[in-house]
Amino acid sequence: MSAGTGTATGALLLVRQNLRRDRVVVLVVLVLMAVMAYASAASTTTIYHSTADRVAAAEAIDAQPALRALYGRILDIHALGEVAMTKMTVTYAAFAGALFIALVRRHTRTEEESGRAELVGAAAIGRDAPMAAAVLEASAVAAVLAAVVSAMCLLGGLPLLGSLWFGVIWLGTGLVATGIGAVACQLSASARSCAGIAAALMGALFVVRAVGDASSSIGWLVWLSPLGWNTQLRAWSGTRPWVAVLYLVASAVLLAAAQAMRSRRDLGSGPLAARPGRVDGRPSFANPYALVLRGQLVALTLWSTACLALGILFGLITPGLQDLLDTVDMQEVLDHLGGALIAAVVSVAGIAVTCFGITVTTHAADDETSGRVELALSTAASRGTWWRATAATALGGVAWLLLVTGVGLWVGLLLGGFEGDGGRSWTALVAALAWVPAAWVVLGVTLCCHAWSAHRAALGWAGLGLCVFLTLAGDLLHLPRLVIHLSPYSSVPAYPADAWRWLPFVVLTLVAALLAFGAWLRFERRDIG
Amino acid sequence: MSDLTAEPVIEISGLVKSFGRSRALDGLDLEVARGDVHGFLGPNGAGKSTTIRVLLGLMRAGAGTVRLFGDDPWRNAPALHRRLAYVPGDVSLWPNLSGGETIDLLLRMRGIDPQVSHKAEMMERFRFDPTKKGRAYSKGNRQKVALIAAFAVPTELLILDEPTSGLDPLMEQVFRDCVAEHLGRGSTVLLSSHILSEVERLADRVTIIRDGRTVETGTLDELRRRVPDLTQGADLETLFLDAYRSPEQGADGG
Repeated sequence: MSAGTGTATGALLLVRQNLRRDRVVVLVVLVLMAVMAYASAASTTTIYHSTADRVAAAEAIDAQPALRALYGRILDIHALGEVAMTKMTVTYAAFAGALFIALVRRHTRTEEESGRAELVGAAAIGRDAPMAAAVLEASAVAAVLAAVVSAMCLLGGLPLLGSLWFGVIWLGTGLVATGIGAVACQLSASARSCAGIAAALMGALFVVRAVGDASSSIGWLVWLSPLGWNTQLRAWSGTRPWVAVLYLVASAVLLAAAQAMRSRRDLGSGPLAARPGRVDGRPSFANPYALVLRGQLVALTLWSTACLALGILFGLITPGLQDLLDTVDMQEVLDHLGGALIAAVVSVAGIAVTCFGITVTTHAADDETSGRVELALSTAASRGTWWRATAATALGGVAWLLLVTGVGLWVGLLLGGFEGDGGRSWTALVAALAWVPAAWVVLGVTLCCHAWSAHRAALGWAGLGLCVFLTLAGDLLHLPRLVIHLSPYSSVPAYPADAWRWLPFVVLTLVAALLAFGAWLRFERRDIG
Repeated sequence: MSDLTAEPVIEISGLVKSFGRSRALDGLDLEVARGDVHGFLGPNGAGKSTTIRVLLGLMRAGAGTVRLFGDDPWRNAPALHRRLAYVPGDVSLWPNLSGGETIDLLLRMRGIDPQVSHKAEMMERFRFDPTKKGRAYSKGNRQKVALIAAFAVPTELLILDEPTSGLDPLMEQVFRDCVAEHLGRGSTVLLSSHILSEVERLADRVTIIRDGRTVETGTLDELRRRVPDLTQGADLETLFLDAYRSPEQGADGG
């Protein structure tokens, strides 16, 4: 991977260029993860009044197969750090892996697909330089993220040595995710397919570990997944330093495989051949609605599947939580797990599905800056129809995904024989739908950015980041209530843990409608392209 | 003939369009008569594509009047678009749609049933494989998608913005044949191009613009007469270069 010689010439130049392009997204993820790490570490030391309470809670969590599947085992129930960082050991580390996959893909396959790699490749830049630069950059970001998480653990009152080893876990996960991204990006000529492949690989690693952690007979499965190593390294007590070597070996093997595949293929090609498309279009494929929806069909299917599966899974484990609540002081555990489980799940889902809506809008903006909207609107299709198709797909898609999540929860609760809340398992569906207006408001802001100009649509991500930050970290930073409630997510009641409230539902819906209306008015009047 | 024929298909006068502080169009005039092939010439950045976008109602005019079929394209774009076909200079396709699907979509969005169009014949003439996905086509093949959709049915007006970029000489020949056939069926053509020989071969009249302003307009013969020191048989390239050599001349000529 050395720059300056042979096929990797110019890699360092590209790293600088990449970092410039990525500075916002990297910074946002760093800040978010830092806040999460600090909040997790700091809150645990205050929530549990005595060590006995904490140990009891850890014991109860570890006794639940479903929770073990979600977060991994707690190997030492006496270790403060292990209880505090339960969620961040496996689950959040896996989420953070998405960043590294995105970075690698953005600078390798996406560049090839757009043809920009050809332009760069024709300059005094080596054939392997783009990949080397992407890997170098992702590894450096992983190191910084690990250092930040480590420092936040320490700041939150956790032991020094454990915090350092916890950072090693995050570095290891980042390196493996980088390797997975590099391999996935060799497999298909389509950058979107590559993202799907990478997500599927990460999902598979998560599932293998989850099965191993949940079961008592085939626990060895966790050793097959790097995410399982996160727990098995035992950062907080009885550390196994040699597990860290596994990450290095795994990422080295993945990167070597990616490099071997890269050197055997041509620029812009992939071993997974694209299936030939239809010779002609279906009669119904005749308007902007069909066009926008068609572009999101694969993504929407994947999102729907994930929402349904996670809904059912969490619905199933909720009875387990009920047992858990009987064993320790109820309110404390509720606080620690972020409100009642269902409220917590739908809050995460509400924020996550907003991402889908934003990608719909940024895709529409991309269609516009690439000249495809110009082509579409040179027909009898009106600009209003194009806007409404985009907005309907974004807003409708988000509502649909929350509906699917709610139905999944409901089904899971019924299958799991949930009897809590007087057997009213349908409240899970209501809880999920309660997040629709808040997600719509954030999307409304994105639509306004898009209507302002196509180049500004990506600002919607910044809006989302700011709202998530205000809601998650607002209390921790003692921000004024008014500021915290600038984020629509802050106003959604933690139903069914808290009482249902119509006011935020109605107000947020109205705000979203106003934002969308403003966006539409602006889009009808602005230049296309 | 009726009034319809007398009225120009495209009528632009004093068109101004600014982007922030830069003035892309600065009092541009363009008139295209029914049944003509009108060459629209100018170097990169002169404002050809911006003019076409305003003409299509995709951009709003800052000042001046723009008439397409005697109507305002900003207000009535969809209805006017049913009567025309547009080929952009740099065709970008939806990466997940096949070429065939894209052609059918473009036709259907113009209110045309692809089954009753000459689509199949056009695909054969342009030697186009419709089954590949949008991301897999080369520049020339992306161009063919828009050309096939444009030529598949008789249409009143063809707006072609550097339509042959990326096409090989054989395909350029097919393109010229298609234009000739559409003229025969009564189409009007606005042809923006860099390829002066192509314009010279096809165009009845030309308009040359510079820095967003019209500097020359007329038939080739009229242009030749306006430049006295040029020989009788001066070709379009000579006229074009001449229009750019003498800044004052253009302002008078327009």
